Amino acid sequence: MFHRWRGPGARWRARWAGFLYVLPMLLYLALFLIYPIGRVLYLSFFDVTLLSMTPQWAGWSNYLWAFTFRMPGQEGVYFLASLGRTVLWVGLSLLLKVSLGLAGAILLHQELAGRQVYRTLAVLPWGLPWAIAAMTWAWTMNTQFGLVNGVLLRLGLVSQPVAFLGAPVAAFVSTAVADAWIGLPFMVVMILAGLQSVPGDLLDAALVDGASPWIRFFRVTLPLVRPVVLTTALLSTVWTFNSFDPIWVMTRGGPVSATETLPIAIYNVAFRLLRFGGLGKAAAMTTVQVLVVTAITLGYLQALRGGQEGSQ
Amino acid sequence: MRKGLAKVATHGLVMLFLVFMLLPIYQMVITALKPEAEAWLVPPSLVPRRPTLENFAEMFEIVPRLPRFLGNSFIYGLGVSLVSLGVAVPAAYGLSRHPIPGRRGILFLLVYANMFAPIMLLVPLYDIIRVLGLLNTRPAMILAGSVFTLPLSVLLLASYFEAVPRSLEEAAWVDGCSRLRALGQVVLPLVLPAMVAVAIYAFITGWSQQFVLALVLIQSPDLMPITQGLYQFFSRSSVRWPELMAASLVAASVPMLLFMLVQRYIVQGLTAGAVKM
Repeated sequence: MFHRWRGPGARWRARWAGFLYVLPMLLYLALFLIYPIGRVLYLSFFDVTLLSMTPQWAGWSNYLWAFTFRMPGQEGVYFLASLGRTVLWVGLSLLLKVSLGLAGAILLHQELAGRQVYRTLAVLPWGLPWAIAAMTWAWTMNTQFGLVNGVLLRLGLVSQPVAFLGAPVAAFVSTAVADAWIGLPFMVVMILAGLQSVPGDLLDAALVDGASPWIRFFRVTLPLVRPVVLTTALLSTVWTFNSFDPIWVMTRGGPVSATETLPIAIYNVAFRLLRFGGLGKAAAMTTVQVLVVTAITLGYLQALRGGQEGSQ
Repeated sequence: MRKGLAKVATHGLVMLFLVFMLLPIYQMVITALKPEAEAWLVPPSLVPRRPTLENFAEMFEIVPRLPRFLGNSFIYGLGVSLVSLGVAVPAAYGLSRHPIPGRRGILFLLVYANMFAPIMLLVPLYDIIRVLGLLNTRPAMILAGSVFTLPLSVLLLASYFEAVPRSLEEAAWVDGCSRLRALGQVVLPLVLPAMVAVAIYAFITGWSQQFVLALVLIQSPDLMPITQGLYQFFSRSSVRWPELMAASLVAASVPMLLFMLVQRYIVQGLTAGAVKM
């Protein structure tokens, strides 16, 4: 519309010339994203395992399996239990990410000497490979030799070292903490960017009206950064839902199945449980995950639009 | 007086936050500096009593393929970087300059693609790579890995292309430049910083986050990225922590340092509102 080209022919050419620029990307996404998503849907209706790669039509049986299969020696339906566990785990990790992210961003927004150094240090972990972060967390939380127990024992906060990864509930919380830690720099930086975009004159006006710092924060700043917090949290929800590395490295889904979230379960069903599982069954489970991610994405776009309108 | 007290309290809270954010990194550094015997003290020493650099020499004996793993990750990083840039630069230019049919749909696709993680597409990616005959090869890791860096690369670059005034380009056309020459000589130099940022971002991701893909696409230890390579030593029953942490520190410092350079740009790309939907 902005082009000053003349004549319908030129206009038509411009449209399709533009398309040529985008074509390689579309082909790439078609082959490595769209086709794989379609393939997941397709395979979810077939019997395929690593041992017999020729798909055999299976109807809805993979979904039926997902909603009925009970792992010998474990409580509940395998897939539903892992789905429920995922919701709790994502909830815990996200709660930590949002609350600590907000707190950290507010702290780093204050005018302090050395603020730039603080900011740099706070987001330093962002570049750390997730798998290495997880290995290091496992060592930091090691029962006998880990730093956390070392500090807790010295401060007299515990009398016995804590087995952070040894017991079901402890491992559940510990992996969520490690995951939250991995995602925190992103939260802090995004919310901080939101705080920085709060117009100074609004705060000045509130100051002139005699508003206390608390009032100014809760009545002016917080409402203005709410859209940023919301969109960042939604984006983070999806990534947390997909989180694999921290759990896989720290507990492999254990002890027993305490940290076996959906991504871990999908991997196990596809590549490890050769007797009970298979690629078709894993595809059925993945389809459910794709649906969840799609739903959150739509919510995210809605929030993004709302945020844009709000700021205009 | 009260103001001063508030300042001190704020500094204190910031410190507390930083303690949490730097805890594992601190653990990594002190373990890498501890002699073997000191790493097994109960309770552990909080500061290395006799700091040594010997672990940085011994890590090559404990993890003999370490140079190889680092080299592989470098190649994966470079490959992902080149593919991302090669596909994203024209796409971002097209999206910001041309009235492309289905533009909204394409932008939605990019945001949607950004939500996917390797674990969800592991089964079909394994399938595609197998059909292409690329299982257990380097191109497999690069091709599959680039899908996950492409969306953010395009969104980030497009927001920068948007910021270049069209009048600059049009002036070049009037001067008799072809469209491609105007792009190459007028527009690209202006978005060069963003291109460098995207290249570094994709390199870091290729270096760091190929762990899951390597689980199924790679069997040969000679092709393992550094994350998988170190994980093999981590999952043994007796872990040599000082050497492993020394190797981890080397492996992690590359992406961590690079990340500090591009963090600002990545935030801009993630606040994708810059590209009007």
